[in-house]
Amino acid sequence: MNTKLNIKTLSLGIVVVLAMLALGGLSVQAQTTTTAADAPVDSSITLPVKGSVTDPNGTVTLTGNVIITCRRVVDTTSVANPSIVLLDFDFSGVQGSSGSTKATLKTYVTGENHATEMRPLQASDTIIVATPYFDSTKDALSARTMLVSATLNFDISSGKLTSGSLSVGNNVVTSAAVGTVTAAPIQ
Amino acid sequence: MPDRNFFLSPKASKARLREAERARQNRWDIIQAVSHGQVSRRDLIKMGLFTSAGLLVPVGGLSPFARSAFADSNIPTGLPPSPLGTTTAFSTPMPRFDLFPRIPVSALTPAPTAQANTTQQPVDPALGGGTGPIEGRPPGPIWAHQQFGLLPPAIAVDGSVEGAKTNTVYNPGVPSNLNSGINPATPIPFKFHPNLPTQQAVKAWTYNGTIPPKLMQVRYGEPVLFRLHNRLPVQQSQNGGFGIHTISTHEHNGHHGAENDGFTGAYFFPNQFYDYHYPIVLAGRNTINTTASDPFASGPTDAGGLMKVPGDWHETMSTHWFHDHMFSFTAQNVYKGIAGMFNIYSGLDRGAEDINDGVNLRLPSGRASVSGKSWGNLDYDVNLMIADKAWDAQGQLAMDIFEFDGFLGDRMTVNLTYKPYFEVERRKYRFRILNASVSRFFKIALSDGSPMIQIANDGNLFPHPVVLTQLDEQGIAERYDIVIDFSRYSVNQTVWMVNLAEHQDGKKVSKDLSLSEALSGNSQDPCVGKFLEFRIVRDPAQPDISQVPATMIPNPDLTNIPVAHERTFEFNSGANQTTNDPVTTFFGPWGIKTNNQGATLAADFGRISAAPKFGTREVWTLKNGGGGWDHPIHIHFEECQTLSRDGSASKVPAWERGRKDVWRLRPSGEVKITLQFRDFGGMFMEHCHNTMHEDNAMLLRWEIDGAGTPFLNPLPTPIPSPQGVTFMAPDDILPGAFY
Repeated sequence: MNTKLNIKTLSLGIVVVLAMLALGGLSVQAQTTTTAADAPVDSSITLPVKGSVTDPNGTVTLTGNVIITCRRVVDTTSVANPSIVLLDFDFSGVQGSSGSTKATLKTYVTGENHATEMRPLQASDTIIVATPYFDSTKDALSARTMLVSATLNFDISSGKLTSGSLSVGNNVVTSAAVGTVTAAPIQ
Repeated sequence: MPDRNFFLSPKASKARLREAERARQNRWDIIQAVSHGQVSRRDLIKMGLFTSAGLLVPVGGLSPFARSAFADSNIPTGLPPSPLGTTTAFSTPMPRFDLFPRIPVSALTPAPTAQANTTQQPVDPALGGGTGPIEGRPPGPIWAHQQFGLLPPAIAVDGSVEGAKTNTVYNPGVPSNLNSGINPATPIPFKFHPNLPTQQAVKAWTYNGTIPPKLMQVRYGEPVLFRLHNRLPVQQSQNGGFGIHTISTHEHNGHHGAENDGFTGAYFFPNQFYDYHYPIVLAGRNTINTTASDPFASGPTDAGGLMKVPGDWHETMSTHWFHDHMFSFTAQNVYKGIAGMFNIYSGLDRGAEDINDGVNLRLPSGRASVSGKSWGNLDYDVNLMIADKAWDAQGQLAMDIFEFDGFLGDRMTVNLTYKPYFEVERRKYRFRILNASVSRFFKIALSDGSPMIQIANDGNLFPHPVVLTQLDEQGIAERYDIVIDFSRYSVNQTVWMVNLAEHQDGKKVSKDLSLSEALSGNSQDPCVGKFLEFRIVRDPAQPDISQVPATMIPNPDLTNIPVAHERTFEFNSGANQTTNDPVTTFFGPWGIKTNNQGATLAADFGRISAAPKFGTREVWTLKNGGGGWDHPIHIHFEECQTLSRDGSASKVPAWERGRKDVWRLRPSGEVKITLQFRDFGGMFMEHCHNTMHEDNAMLLRWEIDGAGTPFLNPLPTPIPSPQGVTFMAPDDILPGAFY
């Protein structure tokens, strides 16, 4: 386990590499520590959501509120992308319904589903989140998928989530992809 | 513009690829010199090749992140991509795990003993010669198997760690038609894909030296003796440039005595064995349900009944894994392949979906009435070991041990097979997903966005299942058990598992992509996108009667258990090392500050950082000291409950409200947990499971105080050698460790 440098045991090649590199005018990477200015910044908004998805039960109309919490953290080791946001989408306040008569009326819930996302901080970010919904009288195994497109606006200087909008898109669910997707070539 | 990307695009210019290959070769020469013991990291610091923080200096011709002569911006050189040749994705079947044979304990020679077997044998001259014990377990009563007489092993597993070789005894535990048509009688060479080269014995090391990775099936009420032989080369230099031939196996996260926990300093040498005694008991066995009267606290019998056991059934565990835990070499050894999975069966989680006795949760698995097996059916219960790998120009497994931020591979493997396919029937399947990477996080979705039901986290079934269309990020060592219902598809349809977590380096996920972003092919991270193809091939021969109950395992009730003590652990860069023992200490950029006192300290397995009292409960706060990285922190021994994230109980997501043993702290994040110290004693660990962080040197030792005879206070530190294990007093005891 314990090793001592024995230059005689090193191959010529490794000696040359080590020597070249040791003489190569080395710079030392800066120490990176978090300061008070880099402390996390929390913010939260509640956005109304409205839309519909196509379902075997017919059109399901979804309404309610989504709570989006945001934590801005600073990556002190990064030059290009120092600020990131940790987002949590709480869909538990979204409900759906289908059917036009008392006999056919169904209600839908999203369960305890949250979606978490880590994104670089930018003034505006559009995130498409797939989220489940299911008949409130059945279990989660019956769940299907809807797409929620979120456009979120941030105050770049403070890192706070300031405003946004949500829309529910059609659940374009095929065996290949979801939403408007161009499939990648298979490597 | 990204800071840097770990791998160059295959479309990069030839000159740039040559430069990257030259840099890798230069590093490779140094890596080999370090791994062969010709030069130490301390020497490299003296020579100016490492910073005092242990970072490889960013110089051209060495660091992949030095500015490239060919780059027109700050984009660094990057690593050359691992060659694929003619290999295409989803062109080979995913093999199921290979079952470790369960044998009678009487088949072991010599018979297992409570204390380490110190029978002497000649030691190879390459290891110093002379004689040494046949068993590498530290000798004496402190490292004797605890409660060995009370919980004698009922079955044994006789395995080894050795270099890559062809598997001629593959046993997937299921018929070929449930294993994508793989004929188990056909020898399996050690390849990541049939079109890729066979791995050399020095490059890949696994349990029994073969692939697929090994699965151990155990059950409550049936203690196991796992005899592990070290059959690695005696020459340290026979390692293919990385990895070390001394090993220690951690059954992650077994509730066992410390002597069986794979303590990082209790490693053993080639030609030795180590007997691990896994009692497979429920936590709380000495205080809760001590008369074993509760049928929910039970294991399955061969006849389809229950064998009741003492303990708290709310502590029932299911999906574990086992892996190497060699001090400062865990990343390298696990990356070489020293990792397997470990399914624990119980009355609740039976592995037989047709047994309806009011206890069995009847999760997807298979029918006892079809297989004749009353437990442990794997027909529709599939282990997935996901890991990123890289290989060199010759197709041999390659690793860069100097990437202390974290090492990333550029090729996705499932069960050590490059981007395979798996045939499924139109019914529910359970997948036990393990992130076995060195540093990479995953975020998994299905390519069509379909829902998945998460039922367990870190091997612990939830109080209630959680429906998700994308799983949370999955850190290294975390296990997510999910159920996918393929009945929603038609025969001949195809759906893929997709990774949404994009990395630019090994520090953390740089961005969670949406499904469409991940599928677009625009990510510069080659491990983003599809990595496992499900082919829906037929209807099941029998109706799917498996269930996902709305209530599974409620959390243990802690309301009447007082909190005896609180501690804080902060995980930082810029660690100091205050001790200098050549065996027990290591250094690196990473470390842990304890209780907001003193410096952030690099690992020393001779230092005691915490010593909770036996029989108590504590609250621990785990803090990430920076926003530039994430740390998946693992605490050994007993499952914990998560009390809060970032100071708020409401920020604990539904999938973390069960029990856990690994927490992604998230950048600048904080997690508060509670845990108990009972049933067994000894020394355990807490560390980052980004194993590059762990090895360099974000790990600490804690031990249970007052576990009774023979445990001393404090415990002596084992110092292994081929000639025998000696002991020394702890190097250091942090203030407040004992209270």
